[in-house]
Amino acid sequence: MTSIADEIICYAECVNNSDLLPLITLLVVASLLLFAFYLKTKTPIQRVSSFAGAQTSMLGAIAATFSTMECGRMLTIEVYLAYVLISTGIMLFLQGSYYRILIRHHNAKPISDIVDWADDFVNALSEDSQVYYFDLAIPKAFASGKAIFISIGMLEIFDEQELKAVLAHEAWHLRHNNKTPILRQLSLMTFTKFRPGQELELMADRFAEEIVGKGALESARAKLV
Amino acid sequence: MVKVDRINISNEGLTKFFSPIEAQIMGVLWENNEMMTAEITKMTGIPLSSVAGTLDRLVKADFAQRRVENQGKRVRYVYSATTTADNAANAITTRILDSLVDTFGAVAIENFSKYKNDK
Repeated sequence: MTSIADEIICYAECVNNSDLLPLITLLVVASLLLFAFYLKTKTPIQRVSSFAGAQTSMLGAIAATFSTMECGRMLTIEVYLAYVLISTGIMLFLQGSYYRILIRHHNAKPISDIVDWADDFVNALSEDSQVYYFDLAIPKAFASGKAIFISIGMLEIFDEQELKAVLAHEAWHLRHNNKTPILRQLSLMTFTKFRPGQELELMADRFAEEIVGKGALESARAKLV
Repeated sequence: MVKVDRINISNEGLTKFFSPIEAQIMGVLWENNEMMTAEITKMTGIPLSSVAGTLDRLVKADFAQRRVENQGKRVRYVYSATTTADNAANAITTRILDSLVDTFGAVAIENFSKYKNDK
């Protein structure tokens, strides 16, 4: 079996002798520049975009490096490819169906049973979405797949405008298919640590502000403190 | 979790068996028939986030129960105690006595008799 040290030497030789070396160098430099921009910029949308760009460039560099390999079957390549395929498959599968698991897990019920306007409001922002409520006194809301989940505790303490602010925030996540699994997956593929959560939450808040106004969002936030 | 099984002998009153917040909320529920979350928050002076989490635990542990009331455009939980304070005290003491007898057998029973006679 080829040792890891042999494989590293093989990588270096293959890359050095490859026509793809300029492309690989370009992608790595682009990735580093985008990552530096990501660290420096304060705007949520620029942070998310530069992070996605840096990760995609790095993934491109990894793919180009692999394509230069002339050392036959190598364990590290096989392990990495298996990891990418399995994790991507799980991510794609879960993205489409995880909300069904959540419905069962929380014993969630359609919100139309107790609140008549919520589904129409959310559908105007994100088509074919459905809102569910579940039995929990702690105020909590989250989105997954094509569903928004909201606890009775949240329905209890918020007035209609505040609830609309929360639903608009969650509808943004549905529209952008976010808590973006793609971002998380890119991060996993390149073994970098990143939590885009804060930026995504800020962007969702901005959207909610546009829909219902800043006042409703701020009073909702104040009630949760 | 409500940890009635973990008795803290040095604590005062119900906080021997409940956390201070649990004890305060159960006290309010035992004294009143039905209460909404906002009323419990107001009567105890405990922040909403703590009250909500504690109520979830008390319902799960079957010390409290709740129903959903949907009036007009507002949805609310209405809470009540599942049993009276006396019945809860009875259930807790029975569990403790059972545990003492299971562990110490005749010694525990002898001490109960001695305690009863002394009283």
